[in-house]
Amino acid sequence: MRAVVRSGIGVFTPQGFLDGSSGNSFLSIDDIQATIAQNADMILVSLKKVIFFNRNGLDSFVKMFQKVRSANHCTVGFCDYDTKKYNAIINFFQDDINFSLFKSQDIAMLFSANYKNQNKNILLYNEDKSQRAAMAIELHDNGHNPIVAQSYNEFSEKSGAENAYDIIITDTYLGQMGQKVATRVTGNAIIYTVSSFLDAEIGNTFNIAYHNNSLNVGFRLFIFDTYKVISMNVHALNFFSKLSTAGAEYNATICFVGMSFEKTPKEFKETLEDSGIMFFNQMDDILQNKELLEELGASSAANVKDKRAINKTTVTELPNFIDATVATIEMMTNSKAIKESANINKLQIDSKEGKIASSIGFYGDMDGMVVLVFPKEIAKKACELLIGEETEDMELVLDTLAELVNIVGGKVKTLLADEKISVNITLPRTYPDIDSLLEIVQEKKGVQVDLSFNNDKFIFFLTR
Amino acid sequence: MIVAKIMYINIKYTIMITKDTIDSFIDKIPPAPKALKETLMHLNAGDLVKAANAAKEDKALSSYLKILVNKPIYGFKNEVTEVSQIFGILGVSRSLQTVYNYMMTLLSPSKWVLFRLNRVVFYNLQADLSMNWQKILNHLEIDDSDILSSISLLPASIIVSEALFCEKKKDVDLLRSVNQIDLNTVLQRLCGVDLFDICQQIAQKWEMPQSVSDILQAASGVKPSRDETIDKLGKWMHLLLFYTLSQTKYIEAELNDFIDFQLEYANDIYEEFSKLMEIS
Repeated sequence: MRAVVRSGIGVFTPQGFLDGSSGNSFLSIDDIQATIAQNADMILVSLKKVIFFNRNGLDSFVKMFQKVRSANHCTVGFCDYDTKKYNAIINFFQDDINFSLFKSQDIAMLFSANYKNQNKNILLYNEDKSQRAAMAIELHDNGHNPIVAQSYNEFSEKSGAENAYDIIITDTYLGQMGQKVATRVTGNAIIYTVSSFLDAEIGNTFNIAYHNNSLNVGFRLFIFDTYKVISMNVHALNFFSKLSTAGAEYNATICFVGMSFEKTPKEFKETLEDSGIMFFNQMDDILQNKELLEELGASSAANVKDKRAINKTTVTELPNFIDATVATIEMMTNSKAIKESANINKLQIDSKEGKIASSIGFYGDMDGMVVLVFPKEIAKKACELLIGEETEDMELVLDTLAELVNIVGGKVKTLLADEKISVNITLPRTYPDIDSLLEIVQEKKGVQVDLSFNNDKFIFFLTR
Repeated sequence: MIVAKIMYINIKYTIMITKDTIDSFIDKIPPAPKALKETLMHLNAGDLVKAANAAKEDKALSSYLKILVNKPIYGFKNEVTEVSQIFGILGVSRSLQTVYNYMMTLLSPSKWVLFRLNRVVFYNLQADLSMNWQKILNHLEIDDSDILSSISLLPASIIVSEALFCEKKKDVDLLRSVNQIDLNTVLQRLCGVDLFDICQQIAQKWEMPQSVSDILQAASGVKPSRDETIDKLGKWMHLLLFYTLSQTKYIEAELNDFIDFQLEYANDIYEEFSKLMEIS
């Protein structure tokens, strides 16, 4: 069974009846690995379409969860259920719940550090006091405003207030949360979230391939959110020092935000500073300071000294990239593509008005970045198959565009694999306007192919 | 040099599925063979002897009948080999249902690509659905040969999915890796018709009774019928489909999520269904 991966959460959706004989067939270790390869750090099984399950049916998933957790440090569990199903699961497993339960995928997203929308007002209630506290801490750390109801009466009273909360959390249980270093992109900075005790394990939980690729595709500012870090040992110190030194080749900067040195030797800070790492108390000290962002190379790709040009290897594989893109857009719009022109140059967009863009990076045997520039109308049309109806909600269109560019990335990966070229793809990015795209790519040379779908112009740009 | 290379790139893609693809699929469905038509005619007239004689003329039909009814789920102690014997044991309604099942196999591909199916698993699926549908109709105290036969059309939705999407398997997989969308919805959004509309066209082409199509449309779970009886049967059939597709062999055939299970649609009959099927 395939999972749908969105915002770092991979969700499997079995349908019908889950019992001991069928449970094992729904999920294989290969399915899980394929999901993790798509940068998922939370693996959930949705019970939305399950009308019946018994303990044996869930057991096969739980056993798989344990394997996944220990091998990949992911958060694992079930989601999308009603109170009856929640009570049944709690009853089945009682004191032996080492997985998480999220009443809905929206609630699960709040606990994912990859989730970009923060500052949600959240009312939460759980009978168990320690669960209430654990959830409040996680939500607070993820940038939300949790309001904890200490009793069911208080919860009933508060939940009755209209429009007081963005989300209400009940019937949710936090098992062991993931220990992978969570990653999210904010503007042109990449934010990694680390917590607890930093030791040699950071080498396993940090996705170095993703980091290197981010350097390759032009990211220059990497922020470690260290509010939750209790202490760091010498192995972690060496890891971060090396990471910073390696990034210097790209003129990249690593910042630590919120790091306390109460339980970490003070001299570690000096060592880290010597390797180029900068320290800040608050995230906004960086993200709200435009001058600093510019200085740190996060406001424009123009600061990049090592401008990497498109090379022969990439051009040789160009038909695969165009194939993947055109076939995907054709699939989504059910209309034919016509190629109008192709050039090697910097990205040229005649009119910036009414256009949005998305990009996805790839790395491995070869590396680079595919940029797609759409008129809003064709973007909306391309997203209709996934959304199911016409929409004017640009946030929804941008989110769906990210799914679309993910399909393109997946297709590129498959086509290149057919030629024994192995690449991985990054999380997709979307740009609500052309100026925000140009900040990243305007100085880069690449191959630009202008296409039209039913007379709607569309730009494909491949760069490094 | 590089620019020259780029300019030579040809775009030769095919779009996913259009109304023309569907029309072409329907056009290619052969009319029911003569022997089959005669068999059905005699069965509808209740004449099992003449029906068996007509069926014997079609070697493929005779062979199919023997394979299907000797499956364990039919519960015969001794192997049944003669068509007349088979029809005699099954009676008119179940013989009719079995012949309709055979008609569906005429549409099935020799090699499955989208689903991990083969002839044996597909026949098993037909047998599982047919036997449990009979159990349901007995429970509901419905004795109607057309309604009994309606289950035969249900696997046509799988055959149609295979036919339309088999060359697009990778695209479908990628699409479904980023969005939880079933094949029925993909088809509906691309072409304005869904799998069950196409099944209805097949039923019409093969002159199957209207009630067969009506129950099937309701069994899609997304098109409830205004007719209370048809709608009730649609719910039972929808739930039976997912009860069946929750079995290991069909999950492994990747059939479990080819269409969306409409849990709410079938919820009000679930308790009754679970008692009948002894689910615990």
